[in-house]
Amino acid sequence: MTPTTRRHLLASAGAGAAGIGLGGVSGYLIGQETAEASSGGTGSVAFYGEHQAGIDTPAQDRLHFAAFDLVAESRAELRELLREWSRAAAEMTAGDPIGDANGVPLAPPEDTGETVGLLPSRLTVTIGFGPSLFERRRLALRRKRPPALQKIPALPGDELNGEESGGDLCVQACSDDPQVAFHAIRNLARIGRGTVVMRWSQLGFGRTSTTSRNQDTPRNLMGFKDGTANIRAEDTDAMRRFVWVGDEGPAWMRGGSYLVSRRIRMLLEVWDRSALEDQEQAIGRHKYSGAALGESDESDPLDLEAESGGKPTIPVDAHVRLASASMNGGVRILRRGYSFTDGVDESLGELEAGLFFLCFQRDPQRQFVPIQRRLGSNDALNEYIKHVGSAVFAIPPGARQGGYVGETLLS
Amino acid sequence: MQRIPVRNSLIAVGIGLAAIVAPGCGSSEDPPLGAKTMAFQLTDAGCVPNSAKAAAGPIVFEVENAGTSKVSEFEVLDGDTILGEKENLSDGLSGSFSLTLDQGEYVLYCPGGDDEKGTLTVSGKLKAETSPQVEDSISRYRDYLEKNTAELISATAPFVAAVEAGDVEKAKALYAPARVPYERIEPVAESFGELDPRIDARENDVPASEWSGFHVIEKALWVDDSTGGMTAVATQLLADIEELQRKVKTVDLQAVQIANGANELLGEVSASKITGEEERYSHIDLVDFEANVEGAEAAFESVEPLLSEKDPKLAKEIEAQFSKIYASLKPYRRGNGFVSYAELTQADTRKLAQQVDALAELLSEVPAQIVGG
Repeated sequence: MTPTTRRHLLASAGAGAAGIGLGGVSGYLIGQETAEASSGGTGSVAFYGEHQAGIDTPAQDRLHFAAFDLVAESRAELRELLREWSRAAAEMTAGDPIGDANGVPLAPPEDTGETVGLLPSRLTVTIGFGPSLFERRRLALRRKRPPALQKIPALPGDELNGEESGGDLCVQACSDDPQVAFHAIRNLARIGRGTVVMRWSQLGFGRTSTTSRNQDTPRNLMGFKDGTANIRAEDTDAMRRFVWVGDEGPAWMRGGSYLVSRRIRMLLEVWDRSALEDQEQAIGRHKYSGAALGESDESDPLDLEAESGGKPTIPVDAHVRLASASMNGGVRILRRGYSFTDGVDESLGELEAGLFFLCFQRDPQRQFVPIQRRLGSNDALNEYIKHVGSAVFAIPPGARQGGYVGETLLS
Repeated sequence: MQRIPVRNSLIAVGIGLAAIVAPGCGSSEDPPLGAKTMAFQLTDAGCVPNSAKAAAGPIVFEVENAGTSKVSEFEVLDGDTILGEKENLSDGLSGSFSLTLDQGEYVLYCPGGDDEKGTLTVSGKLKAETSPQVEDSISRYRDYLEKNTAELISATAPFVAAVEAGDVEKAKALYAPARVPYERIEPVAESFGELDPRIDARENDVPASEWSGFHVIEKALWVDDSTGGMTAVATQLLADIEELQRKVKTVDLQAVQIANGANELLGEVSASKITGEEERYSHIDLVDFEANVEGAEAAFESVEPLLSEKDPKLAKEIEAQFSKIYASLKPYRRGNGFVSYAELTQADTRKLAQQVDALAELLSEVPAQIVGG
């Protein structure tokens, strides 16, 4: 099916002229068609469904992520916000502008307009709740807090900046077009004005994970292939075991997941002057082929027992070894991170860049936290990275058509 | 001094565009009641037709690019002022916009065409449709304007006298009280073209040789600690303010303008008060901040009955948000004034800015709600 573009609709509306009236923008609300949600494309991904999109969706190329703090005090206001966010997200993911008041001369358009003429570009909007939301007394949500939703404890190697951590709510907007992702966050922030304030936000310019068998493995800013051993969405068994919340509850989280975000600053200047061999030993993979050390193909399994010259072929402190499922009691996580840069580190004059690490799982306490504790203590990569931001969010299940994300919690 | 672009600003209205009166343009599907549609094409030659006649009233301009790559824009101007336009109409695209025009000669402008400019002649008088309720709103706001221009003169006169007498300390003490009434009604002052820059321009807003008004004296007082050379500036300031008072007495006001004015005042807060740019030498920005909010509130209250009829929920939300802002300003109050802007932390300004944004977002919905009311 050919995706119907915003531009196409706009043009045809304009050509039909008479009766469209003021502004001529409203006309493209008619007849949105849904395109296939294939990887690396311009089509649209359904917003409504059993799970929220943006988790098992083949990772898009671009990210805009934002954490918000609630300033409203009542549950009713939170509910109204989530209703409006869901409605707007459904419109945006379909490639439609938000609302129907976009051509009233005396009113600011409901949609800010920068995606007019752009394709849906596989936009997904994923909404989550931070632990602090459940601590807000007036909301009286304390008893609904999932046991798995705990603030990430201090971990070895953390150098966290409070302003880039935490948040009552989060929105992850992913798209293959950076402007479409930005537009989503901008408009949701606008809708939320007076109810939430943005606490921090992060742009990601390139995916660093592969979440589908149809995707190639991308490289992170260290120049290595990242996420080779990631869970693939097609592996529904692994998704069920490691990503989707099941019977363990609470019931309102069933079909949801937990998101951990870590803003990982890479000390690229230091990394770039490390010898190739040192880089490969730190990661545990060959830089160009992506194969594990001692192997020849990216897809070859890790052989953690292999030795060469009396030493482990994959060093004991190599990143792939410490992060591997077999070193972590078989536990896995779904990684979905993005490379970022935010200009220049003002105090050092160096590139402020790295990995905005995102991962989804059933229980961060049993998955991300122990893995990161091991990595933070021993990972050879620690010489080249700093964890500067941290947050965790409960990602409720998807909304039914006409419903809203968070309905299972608030209704 | 206005630094943000405004769509339906008082300025545009002051020049004779009556777009604001347009009755019943509440929805994007319906053109204004009784609107006449005029079709124009963009061609290599320019606007087609490039000479047209219309009767005063609401007009929908339907513009189509008929296959030119040279022209992609259509504007209607009154002199040099753009009243309405459609941009980015590349080959095959079309669009529309509406204006309510009073009698006069307007310019049709198709930049890039062989003959860029054409003429639209509008004849007949616009019928003003104003209900008693609207009249009440306007007269409430007019009272507020006149009260504040009178206060502006009575507060500026002693300030000017202190400057002329060379009394730096006294002038400093009298500066903030003189600023308050001006900041409350600034959008109206801006509608009189040159008057606002003359009274309120900041350094670099205008060429150095033309810089005059409050902020020249502010700089002399706080940076040079002197009134040297300021006598002429102070005398001119008082004369400009008196001219403002005369003009305000006869200004033509409409309810939608008043509602837009509230919005513009909050735009002022966001753009220059919460950033500390407006009062960069005296740092009394929070005084201006409060005055802008008070002015916005007075403007809102003038039209509130019109809004309450259409959307009582919105009216309530706006009132609640005004209260929140006053409550947030309270900790910074010292005597009759406020702490210096320099004492505010980033967390302080961030909280205030967020609340202003939240209120402004709501206020921006008001004009369309009360139009034709």
